[in-house]
Amino acid sequence: MRVLLVEDEQRLAENIVAALRETGLAVDHAPDGEVGSLLAEQGVYDAIVLDLMLPGKSGLHVLQDLRRRKLHTPVLILTAQESKDSVVNLLNAGADDYLSKPFDLGELLARIKALIRRAKGVSTPVLAVSDLELNTVQQTVRRRGQFLDLSPTEYRILEYLIHRPRAVVSQQELLEHLYDFDWEHHSNVIEAHISNLRRKLNVAGSEPLIETLRHRGYRLREEAGAR
Amino acid sequence: MKGSASITRRLVVTVLILELLSAVALIGAITVHEWTVQLQLFDGSLVANAESLMGAVQDTEDESDNVMLDMRGVRVAKDAVFRVEDERGKVLGSVGEPPHLETSASAAPLFRNTTVRGRDYRFLVLNGTRIVDPGTANGGVRHSITIVYGTPSRHVWHEVLEAVRFFAIATAFLLGITAVVMAWLVRKGLSPVHELARQAERIGPGEWHFHAPMSAKDTAELRPLAAALEAALARLQRSFEQQKRFTSDAAHELKTDVAIIKSSLQLLSMRKRTLEEYGQGLALSLEDITRLESTVEKMLTLARLEQPAESYYATAASQSCSLRDVIEDAVHQSKPLAELKCIEVVVEINADVRLPIDSRDALLLCSNILLNALQHSPDGATVRIAENADESITRLTVRDQGEGISDEDRDHVFEPFYRGDQSRSRKSGGTGLGLSICKAICERAGGSIEIASNAVGGALVTVTLPVKTGDSGSTLSASLKAE
Repeated sequence: MRVLLVEDEQRLAENIVAALRETGLAVDHAPDGEVGSLLAEQGVYDAIVLDLMLPGKSGLHVLQDLRRRKLHTPVLILTAQESKDSVVNLLNAGADDYLSKPFDLGELLARIKALIRRAKGVSTPVLAVSDLELNTVQQTVRRRGQFLDLSPTEYRILEYLIHRPRAVVSQQELLEHLYDFDWEHHSNVIEAHISNLRRKLNVAGSEPLIETLRHRGYRLREEAGAR
Repeated sequence: MKGSASITRRLVVTVLILELLSAVALIGAITVHEWTVQLQLFDGSLVANAESLMGAVQDTEDESDNVMLDMRGVRVAKDAVFRVEDERGKVLGSVGEPPHLETSASAAPLFRNTTVRGRDYRFLVLNGTRIVDPGTANGGVRHSITIVYGTPSRHVWHEVLEAVRFFAIATAFLLGITAVVMAWLVRKGLSPVHELARQAERIGPGEWHFHAPMSAKDTAELRPLAAALEAALARLQRSFEQQKRFTSDAAHELKTDVAIIKSSLQLLSMRKRTLEEYGQGLALSLEDITRLESTVEKMLTLARLEQPAESYYATAASQSCSLRDVIEDAVHQSKPLAELKCIEVVVEINADVRLPIDSRDALLLCSNILLNALQHSPDGATVRIAENADESITRLTVRDQGEGISDEDRDHVFEPFYRGDQSRSRKSGGTGLGLSICKAICERAGGSIEIASNAVGGALVTVTLPVKTGDSGSTLSASLKAE
């Protein structure tokens, strides 16, 4: 999952980015409203964390422009203003959640994850497809009750796929949603990770879960009646 | 309500008392006038009656040259008493018992007040002459007739009292009507005051807008009050809003700083880390805390400087510092930043003066202005500090070669937390309190600070401060004595 952080306060941004990356999210950081708006409108983010007071363009304007472009990325607002009016205005302008400064970093992470889940149509932190179970809080994967040892990237690929059951996910989409600008990425990296993932998921007596559709992408297969 | 003064009541009572006094004076005048008129009438009727009695004195029918009183055809008023005598004291006729009054020889009628049987009477003593047989050779016999005629004078008093009573009743009636009409008119006339009060009553912490009602503005006496109220409230509102903005900005600033520290520590405790990572994290957190500390310190400095300076001028006598020393200290302090940006700081001080400011405040003022100039200067530029002093004031100018200042920013740059960008980017460093602190220091010392764009580019900060005349004053007087 890829998150955009728009925050002008350098030190705060550094901390949030570090925390988000430690929980396995790809994060891009925009230091002002203009850049934030530009990045947000690419539509590659699974969630946006937006500070309200930004140089260049205010957080509220960034949000309004985003919604005007029919982008439904969940947006969490960080604000130092606590008046009821501003909260109501924000939610009415299309924000999904807000946290007032100073906030709890753990709470911020939990809220971002919840936003991502809900945006993908899932409401519990434990996702299951056929006999595969993925716990997004503990970041563990079990197949037929058996814990699998996945690398962080493999876990992230599986998490993304499991959030989009039955859909064909292209390599491009995976790249966009799993890597931020700070990471070097090549499409063959994805291929390598997918093949490793496939091998690790292959528990004795089970069907292969990840399908490859040539020139189109990957799909997590869902066996009929298994869910 | 007891003890409170009512303008309405006071006005009505004052007017009524004045009316009453004039009425009393009027009634007094009327009494005197009426008395005079009635007395003249009364006297007139006395004279007429006495004259008719005089006419009734006739020759006797016999041969003697005597006279007699013939009362036929003479009408005498009821209660009247009279006596008609001739020159020998012979009573020709009388009714009642008129007193013996001294008579004068003159022909002019003489009036006398006296009492007859317990009743007040007014008497007329009339002297007349009757000539018997005027046709004879010796010219007839002259008889001097004295008539004393009186009637009760109570009638006069009665008439006067009647008139006075009429006027008194009329006056009382008019006073009553005046009182009612006055009260109504005054109350109506004072209605703009009530309206003004009603309008003023609406003012509260949430509602500062005050527009004096038109009725108050149209009243000459209320116009100054209404205008003063409006102006005072506008001033209060401005200062209240400034305070509110300062509080909200300060809260924003502090919350951001606290958010940074909190997130730094929480990030560190998210999972187990190596000793090295902990060390780095703690160092970063310490930096964050230092920043919070400096923000708080600046806020407190500003709060201290903005305290009412009652005792300031008292203590100012004991405070003084050399401007040259302060500028040198400030330049020294900012040296690291100047060297980092390769900026040359040129100091031109003509004369050293002493400022009536605490040396720490003066240093804060100079170094804040200098830091501001350095921050806004491009690398390799020059910052010029110049000082010009005359007898009472000194003018310190700091000129940089930065981007200058826009007109819009110039109006707000001394407001707390103003950063020249609505969004308050903290990248440029500083909390946006530096120039506010400078302004507070200058104003406290009775000076001023201004910022303007330089014609050749860059900003020009001008500080005007009073010069401490304590020591120079004594040398001046010494030189005067020498002369």
